[in-house]
Amino acid sequence: MVLSAELEHGSFAPESVASEVWGLTRGEARQRADTYQRYHIEALPTEEKWKIPRRFNVKVGKFGLAKMIFKEFFQYFGHWETVFSRPCTYGVFSGPIGGFSPRPDLCVGCLRCEVQHPDFVTVTPNGELRALGDKYLTYQHIYTIDQEAMRGTVPVRGQGYRGRFGGPGFDGMFTDMSEIVRPSRDGIHGRELIGTSVDIGAKPMHLEFDTEGNITNPPTTFTIQLPFIFDAPPTTLESDAVARIYVEAAEQVDTLAILPAKSIERLGLAGPNVVPIVTCSGCSVGPGTRMVELATWNHETYAHFAAQGYAVGVRLEMTGEWLSTLLEMQSAGVTIFHLLSDHHGRSGDGRFLIETLKEAHMALVEKGVRDEVTLLGSGGIAGADNLPKGIISGLDAVGLDHVLLIAMQARLSGDMQSRDTVTVQLPKKLDEAWAVQRLVNLSCSWRDQMLEILGAMGVREVRRLRGEFGRSMMCSELEAEAFGEIEGFPGGGR
Amino acid sequence: MMVYSPGEVKFPTKKLFEKTTHLMHDGLNARAFGEFPKPEALGDARWTDDLILATWFMAETGEVPENFNYMTGKSGGGFDRLRFKFLAEEQWLEHGEHLDTRLDLNRRDDGRQQLTPDLPIYGGGMSYGSVSLNVMLSRARNSVKWNTYMSTGEGGYPEELYQYKENIITQVATGYFGVEERSIKASPIIEFKYAQGAKPGLGGHLLAAKSGGDVAKLRGSVPFVSLFSPFPFHSTYSVEDHMKHIDWVQTINPEALIAVKVSTPKDVDMVAVGSYYAGAHIIHLDGSYGGTGAAPEIAKKNIAMPIELAVPKVHKFLIKEGVRENVTLIASGGVRTADDVAKAIALGADGVVFGTSDLVAMGCTRCANCEGGPSGRGCPWGLTTTDVELQEWVQPDWAEKRLDNYYIAVQWRLRDIMRKLGLSHISELRGRTDLLRYVNGGEQ
Repeated sequence: MVLSAELEHGSFAPESVASEVWGLTRGEARQRADTYQRYHIEALPTEEKWKIPRRFNVKVGKFGLAKMIFKEFFQYFGHWETVFSRPCTYGVFSGPIGGFSPRPDLCVGCLRCEVQHPDFVTVTPNGELRALGDKYLTYQHIYTIDQEAMRGTVPVRGQGYRGRFGGPGFDGMFTDMSEIVRPSRDGIHGRELIGTSVDIGAKPMHLEFDTEGNITNPPTTFTIQLPFIFDAPPTTLESDAVARIYVEAAEQVDTLAILPAKSIERLGLAGPNVVPIVTCSGCSVGPGTRMVELATWNHETYAHFAAQGYAVGVRLEMTGEWLSTLLEMQSAGVTIFHLLSDHHGRSGDGRFLIETLKEAHMALVEKGVRDEVTLLGSGGIAGADNLPKGIISGLDAVGLDHVLLIAMQARLSGDMQSRDTVTVQLPKKLDEAWAVQRLVNLSCSWRDQMLEILGAMGVREVRRLRGEFGRSMMCSELEAEAFGEIEGFPGGGR
Repeated sequence: MMVYSPGEVKFPTKKLFEKTTHLMHDGLNARAFGEFPKPEALGDARWTDDLILATWFMAETGEVPENFNYMTGKSGGGFDRLRFKFLAEEQWLEHGEHLDTRLDLNRRDDGRQQLTPDLPIYGGGMSYGSVSLNVMLSRARNSVKWNTYMSTGEGGYPEELYQYKENIITQVATGYFGVEERSIKASPIIEFKYAQGAKPGLGGHLLAAKSGGDVAKLRGSVPFVSLFSPFPFHSTYSVEDHMKHIDWVQTINPEALIAVKVSTPKDVDMVAVGSYYAGAHIIHLDGSYGGTGAAPEIAKKNIAMPIELAVPKVHKFLIKEGVRENVTLIASGGVRTADDVAKAIALGADGVVFGTSDLVAMGCTRCANCEGGPSGRGCPWGLTTTDVELQEWVQPDWAEKRLDNYYIAVQWRLRDIMRKLGLSHISELRGRTDLLRYVNGGEQ
């Protein structure tokens, strides 16, 4: 090699490398170098279109307030700043008539007013906010998603954790971190060096060459920049606008929008970031499409689309003998599996995602084919922390569903657990550009939070996190280890 | 949203100060004595309304309350599911000063000073900037009173603290903010902070709005710029590097004890043993439910393990390695009450560090706006702020008295637990999981 020879003899000169190795002029080399772009999501603040209910209600007794003002008028006569000072740094009492017309939207629940004036001020949690969501996708999740979609930032707050100890589902898993000895020097100043791209499709484990030296089994994978995809909205929601929003946002952040083939065709949305869900061989697929998903497993339909060069995934509900079906499909050549749980992350037998995804992952590992296939999974994703936990459980990329609608300030009601029974109410006069930015913001925030988790672990790319159970801790197992000897602990104790 | 502009806020007038502090103190008193219904918006699963009000009561009176649950929260796990197996009443010891709550911090028999605080508790690091100078002074004075210690946190050692230097721990953390030879020389304990339980592996973050003139000056920065501490120490790649760190500090102050603060990853037991062999006198584990002035919400419950699960793991491993008697194991990050202190010790710790509990005693409602909140000014109670007006609401004379009262009540309850277990020294409780029982849902 010219390059190594020049390096060896100390005569390295970039321009000679450009011209002799790559056949480029210096200008052309510069031009090519300038095309390099670091992956970046452009988050922009977006206002609320359908204001989420405020966190607190503030009630001020008018008589009590008047009495206080009257008293302080004489007590601090002449010191008007003191008379009119109020125990709120957030502006709840900053309206034209002060506390007589409080502004509870600004209340953060510090309770200074209620403590200082217990006889006439009360601050209560807003029941309207708490009524949002269900026991899985809680009002706290909804409030957080709303903030993330509004700002695109990582939520940062003071004080420690406020919730239950461990908990069911993903709450029962903790991610690991590296204290001193770590494989990388990531952390707060190294996040930009952590990769979040994932490969989708069939990955050969070795290359094969013909007699001419040409590769005969080139990888058919393609790469998306995020370890999460936008899964189809529930069938109860028929909205062309939502389909357009998903596609535009997916293109902006370079992920996939999975939508029914009919919608894509009717709206002319086909493209590399769009994955049509096809039901039969007769479904048409638009230009630029890289991947299709089969609504259900069908060998003929699979063969039809695979033969056309598409990456073909199959949606598989985790009910009945789903694992056997998955292995059968793998034997039949399928390389992309999209596992579906209900929206509480439960499979048909009631088990949670952590367990079922691990089962799928390990079955493929034991079969010796895990690295050749892609596992996608949807259902049960309610917060940013669910992403790394889903990937640790075995997924390559995680499907987002309800949370996308929440980000667009849709209100969900009815049975939110089952697939396709939820009632979705979109904001009136949905502004598509606004909604796209909300999804972009959510993607930015969740990616950045993913980086926090990866940085803490010292993991340089999200692909290395897949199925890394060793970088997680299950609360139940830690409890058994810590409390196993203690009287009364289930399954243990003296 | 209000936009805070530094310079808009000014030092409070005497009248305004009088009015605000009077109302605040009266209000805290009234709430502590239950004169009004519990505020509906107060508390959460970990720090319930009862725990907060009970702490205020203790801070007011120096006694434990009858009307509030001052022992456990409602998190449904960890400390909240553990109870003591008290002896029959006729076997209880007398309550009194003969019940020894002191803690030996140096177990290495290396000729250095022995430090023995009156309680198995010292104050965790809360930096200048994350809290006000008044809060630091209040905690420092209380530490003097209780012959215990308070960590500076990573924000430097304000000049005003030097008068209490015998009770101040200098923290050396990954950003080295405010670390000086002078403060290292002055301290009886030097604390290396590798990680913090609330944000393990993420370093530190002081938001711009709280990094005002004096704070920035002490940290060697310019005002109102966000200050990040990296993670981890960029000079530490191994336990051997960690050892060099300790050597460096010991060269400056050969008498100081060395504390190593780490969070609770999967291999926390190995980290603890490594730290011991590197020369640490104190291994300080900070659990994932610990407090913070600012942390990504995702980090608080998801990274690393709660302290209740880490302490037994480390305690048992230190025993297995044959070094348990040579090192002091300190627990923090979610230790809220005297009962939690005793449970942490029963699980295997020698003592604990208080952080949030101190703040609650001084009036904190855990509203979680320490990082600045929508106002950008920080804590409206004057605790986690350096706002020129707000910080005046907490004056050291008042806050020190509250902390002293709180510690009196904590010591009373610790002794109450000890006597009911038939123990005369707090060290006898260490690792005694046989004195605990686990309660399932609904059981008391």
